[in-house]
Amino acid sequence: MLTIYGKGHRMCDGMSRRNFIQIGALGMGGLTMPQLLQAEKQSGLGRSDKAIIMIYMPGGPPHQDMYELKPDAPSEIRGEFQAIKTNVPGIHVCEHLPRLARIMDKLVLVRTVVGAENSHSSYQCMTGRISGRRGNPPPGGWPELGSVLSKLKGPTDPAIPPYVNLSHKSRHSEYNFGRPSFLGVAHTPFKPQGDIRNDMTLNGISLERLSDRRQLLQSFDRFRSDVDRTGLMEGLDSFQEQAFDVLTSSRLLKALDVEQESAKLRDRYGRGSPRLERDAAPMHMDQFVVARRLVEAGVRCVTVSFGYWDWHSTNFKNGRYYLPAFDQGVSALVEDLHQRGLDKDVSVIAWGEFGRTPKINKDAGRDHWPRNSCALMAGGGMRAGQAIGSTNRLGEEPKERPVHVQEIFATLYHNLGIDAARTHLTDLNDRPHYLVDGHMPMPELV
Amino acid sequence: MVTIPRSSLPGVTSLSLATVLLLLVFPARAQSPQSTAASDANPLVALTLETGRPGSTDPDAVARLRGSEARQQLLVTGRLRDGRLVDYTRHVHYESRPAGIISIDKTGFVTPLANGSVRVTAGIDRGPSAVTRLSVREIGQSRRVNFPNEIVPIFTKSGCNSGGCHGKASGQNGFRLSLFGFEPQEDFEFLVIEGRGRRLFPAAPERSLLLLKATGSVPHGGGLRVERNSPAYDLLSRWIRQGMPYGGPDDAGVVGIRVLPAHRLMSRRQEQQLLVTATYSDGSSKDVTRLCQYESNQKELAEVSPSGLVRVGEQAGQSAVMVRFQDQVAVFRVTVPYGGRLTEGPPAESFIDRWVLSKLRTLELPPSEPCDDATFLRRTSIDITGRLPTPAQAKKFLADPHPDKRRRWVDRLLASPDYADYFANKWSAILRNKRRDDRSTRGNFLFHAWIRRSLLDNRPYDQWMREIVTASGEISRNPAVTWFREVKSIEDQVQDAAQIFLGVRLQCARCHHHPYEQWSQQDYYGFAAFFSRLARKPGTQAGEEVVFHDRGTAAAVNPKTKLPVMPTGLGTGAFDISPEQDPRQVLADWMADKDNPFFARMLVNRYWKHFMGRGLVEPEDDMRGTNPATNPDLLDALAGHFVQSGFDLKELIRTICQSGTYQRSSHPNDQNADDSQNFSRYYPKRLTAEVLLDAIDQVTDVRSEFPGQPSGTRAVQLPDDSFNADSYFLTLFGRPNNASASESERTHDANLAQSLHLLNSPKIHEKVSDPRGRAVRLANDSSLTDEERIRELYLWTLSRLPEEPEMEFALGYIRKRSRGSDAAAAARSRLEEAYQDTLWALLNTKEFLFNH
Repeated sequence: MLTIYGKGHRMCDGMSRRNFIQIGALGMGGLTMPQLLQAEKQSGLGRSDKAIIMIYMPGGPPHQDMYELKPDAPSEIRGEFQAIKTNVPGIHVCEHLPRLARIMDKLVLVRTVVGAENSHSSYQCMTGRISGRRGNPPPGGWPELGSVLSKLKGPTDPAIPPYVNLSHKSRHSEYNFGRPSFLGVAHTPFKPQGDIRNDMTLNGISLERLSDRRQLLQSFDRFRSDVDRTGLMEGLDSFQEQAFDVLTSSRLLKALDVEQESAKLRDRYGRGSPRLERDAAPMHMDQFVVARRLVEAGVRCVTVSFGYWDWHSTNFKNGRYYLPAFDQGVSALVEDLHQRGLDKDVSVIAWGEFGRTPKINKDAGRDHWPRNSCALMAGGGMRAGQAIGSTNRLGEEPKERPVHVQEIFATLYHNLGIDAARTHLTDLNDRPHYLVDGHMPMPELV
Repeated sequence: MVTIPRSSLPGVTSLSLATVLLLLVFPARAQSPQSTAASDANPLVALTLETGRPGSTDPDAVARLRGSEARQQLLVTGRLRDGRLVDYTRHVHYESRPAGIISIDKTGFVTPLANGSVRVTAGIDRGPSAVTRLSVREIGQSRRVNFPNEIVPIFTKSGCNSGGCHGKASGQNGFRLSLFGFEPQEDFEFLVIEGRGRRLFPAAPERSLLLLKATGSVPHGGGLRVERNSPAYDLLSRWIRQGMPYGGPDDAGVVGIRVLPAHRLMSRRQEQQLLVTATYSDGSSKDVTRLCQYESNQKELAEVSPSGLVRVGEQAGQSAVMVRFQDQVAVFRVTVPYGGRLTEGPPAESFIDRWVLSKLRTLELPPSEPCDDATFLRRTSIDITGRLPTPAQAKKFLADPHPDKRRRWVDRLLASPDYADYFANKWSAILRNKRRDDRSTRGNFLFHAWIRRSLLDNRPYDQWMREIVTASGEISRNPAVTWFREVKSIEDQVQDAAQIFLGVRLQCARCHHHPYEQWSQQDYYGFAAFFSRLARKPGTQAGEEVVFHDRGTAAAVNPKTKLPVMPTGLGTGAFDISPEQDPRQVLADWMADKDNPFFARMLVNRYWKHFMGRGLVEPEDDMRGTNPATNPDLLDALAGHFVQSGFDLKELIRTICQSGTYQRSSHPNDQNADDSQNFSRYYPKRLTAEVLLDAIDQVTDVRSEFPGQPSGTRAVQLPDDSFNADSYFLTLFGRPNNASASESERTHDANLAQSLHLLNSPKIHEKVSDPRGRAVRLANDSSLTDEERIRELYLWTLSRLPEEPEMEFALGYIRKRSRGSDAAAAARSRLEEAYQDTLWALLNTKEFLFNH
């Protein structure tokens, strides 16, 4: 393949920079290295410190009880919660989100997310794609956003995995993420929960002995990786290398250790507990602290699962229980990122798989409503202090500015310095796939 | 981005910029002569011209085109002197006489102009030519349009009713169509009746919302789908103008499609036009080449355009192109040779080798060398018994001069109880021997023991399959009943029985016609009817059930037709079953019949994958016409052999393991590194979770303990999935939770957590450094020299002796680490550590972690 004109991202298709420059120079009559770098810079590439924290709300949070209350709707729709003012005139949110209301100028509320599939699954939030055959997955499956970053940008530091999944294992298996994809096992997230913690500190041997062992292993391990066309052997090689890096530098462990933060800061986030809520996730606000520590350490994507949002019954009782913790944890995270000057580089998004029915059911709950859902975003250099879109009187569907899930992905990629409409990945059949199909970053935000 | 065909790239570095630009400007110039592959040395000797109609080889046969929307693709095939067939459809001049009846474009596509008969000639200058005849009728007549036959295929072809668009269950933006048009009646209602008729406007068809949307004249999320003035557009408008007729009950329906050619050997960068003909219940036929949908299963190898033009890329190998028209499917297979040179090796040892080699010859893909004895020993031990050979076995085998030693070793493995342990583990997962709670423990243990016993006694596969499918009674008396505990609903029973034993994914057809297969809902409910009389009552023990046949007529109701369907095998007629007879018996009889097209093929494919790392059909339990085997002859031969042997599983394993194909090296030669589906070499497999844990235990001589199991129980002997929860190792390395009948539930992926665990977990550390473990004992065995100890470690881990550089390196390491002038105790501990390190390093090599 001959790439005549350098779109920097194209290099992700396995072509090395060296090839790119050689062939590019031939084709273009000799672009010099500084010119190429200049071209890269102009297209907004070359920065490596962008990151994203994605908070997944398993079950599907109610848009109309959080970000766009419907005080004028009939009582069977309106619900029990009152709207309160935020620090941005004209934007109101739920009374149980007071801390978020105070920092509305740092937030973006998307009130009209469309294109959600009706499936209790984290798949779409993580990949931007419909799950199952309907999503037309290439062999191996669609990659999660973190896996894409891992593939496109690699680790910032060999001892720091580019994609970390902090979630605890949910009982409902489709809530879990960190799924493998056509990008291969090398780009699945690092999941530090549970037993692996013991494996991350040296057990009974010194660093010096580990280094001896490593040399020994390298001289014994002469089996050719090209014997295996599935990529598993190569993957194994690269993971072994990463594992040694984890063991010889304690940066990752330190980043994962919430105890290194002050009690005051943890209290501000609200701490929480690792206890799972129903079949979903815990309300463990400490994980937001860890997420921040991880992106500071160089992780490019941190995913967290938070709470239980499938409120088919007692919607408002659930709201009073889950919303305050969400309010405290997310507001603390956003403020903390701002205080540390990370708000331009780190994007935050909190969302679930779909919205809830406008009409309250006989059990005082709301059921699944993929026609309209919501998202909270912050940081990433976006123009914050906006509520995007509005739904009709009953909150059934967008009245103005429907925002497709893929638009949100395009925006997140943009925040990460990636032009999703022009960047492609090749699947196992070497077929190119653009990161996002047919949607552009949200013009209101970028 | 500009791409130049790779053929022009060699020597590109020496080309000047001007040359590059020239190539860019005139890319078409190189195309024509090369893509037909004819040359002075191998010239074109004959042409044939086909219309695909039944009897079209008869020179007097006439292909009829009815009405102005009818079209006909012509297919011109050239025969070269060496016998190769090459597509000439786009490389001939067409002529029709008399003029004015039809027009033919450069792609061989015929458009009717006036009623009449013509003689069509296709030829090349100063070369051969071929002739066929066509007749055109009904031009100018407004024949009534048939909705299912003519309108629905337009939606399918244009992608309107695909799963990503209006075909999904919820429709798209309020407009819904049935998936791939499998339910024309529903489509008719959606279009004509729903939405208060606003979608169609007979008074002015061109103002119909349907046409405005499809042509992109009003905003449409799907964009432009149907061009104005295309045959599809004309047909749609005519149908609307006629007042949207559905078609009469006596109108002919499609009964089959045929694709020409069915198979072709092609070179890289060649093209092949396909020709697809539909036949109807009234005996008529029609060209549907541009009305079909095409899908290639290896898009990098072969791409296919909407008009049925297959283009082969730079890759060699095989690909299948699925062709779908209404509820009919057909397949075109393409083979692109690698162009390697096969030397005449030793004669093929078995029918497996004959078929594999015949395929490799076609593909010009030379196989790897045979593997050495040490590799064979380790490979078979792992594949048959799930464990590593001991050094004693290795030494004996390597020293054995007998030419028949490989055969005898396979027999020995098959006779060992380890074989039954290993395959019982495999089948327990497939048969979903899942622990739900403590009350299911008894059933889990009994079922596992029953499976193991069946394997140990080598009971014919058809027999124990039959006992599972027809299981009745109580768990304690008939452990096979346990299968129905996890396979609970009738949907589960249909899905698992069809997938496990027949390799058919019938579950698609529960709600709609199977999109890639012939199976309809009628087939699904006919199959479900076999399980319709299965009843349960509480057993003597809490949580257990008695399964029994509830006397009565077996039938299941098709929710679409609301009519009962009698028990029907796949592709059979309905069975007449008396109320007294358990219909599952009839199902088992049909499945295990030696002529059943699915049963034996599924099993041999499953086992082939177990040993060869890849199924002949992949995934191994998705066998359908549109997912053909990479080597169909071999699949047939294996299935035939299996049936002939009386469904003898050990004989099947013996046959596979004794083939030269199985015994090839995994190391690629110059040409076959890219091969991943033709078995020109052995494809390495990572050891599964259980096998790896057992291997580490065996090598370190420190056993893992499993709760409630006797000491010394190996991981492959665990009866169910309940042990995964307590074993981080088994979970981490992907032992399945027996939640699905699909073996893909077992994950083979590598990740950082696995590497960390093997390199640094407390568990591995304890095993390697255990004072009674292998490393420490060897270090302290003063009867052995360092060389002997290292050899011993190599034999335990890799089942071979170290090569010289390996030995030197290991010795150097041990001497370096144990050097010191202090007390004897410290020296001893340093020596122990040196051996621990050596063992640790061997455990972390790819050679250990893989079966290769």
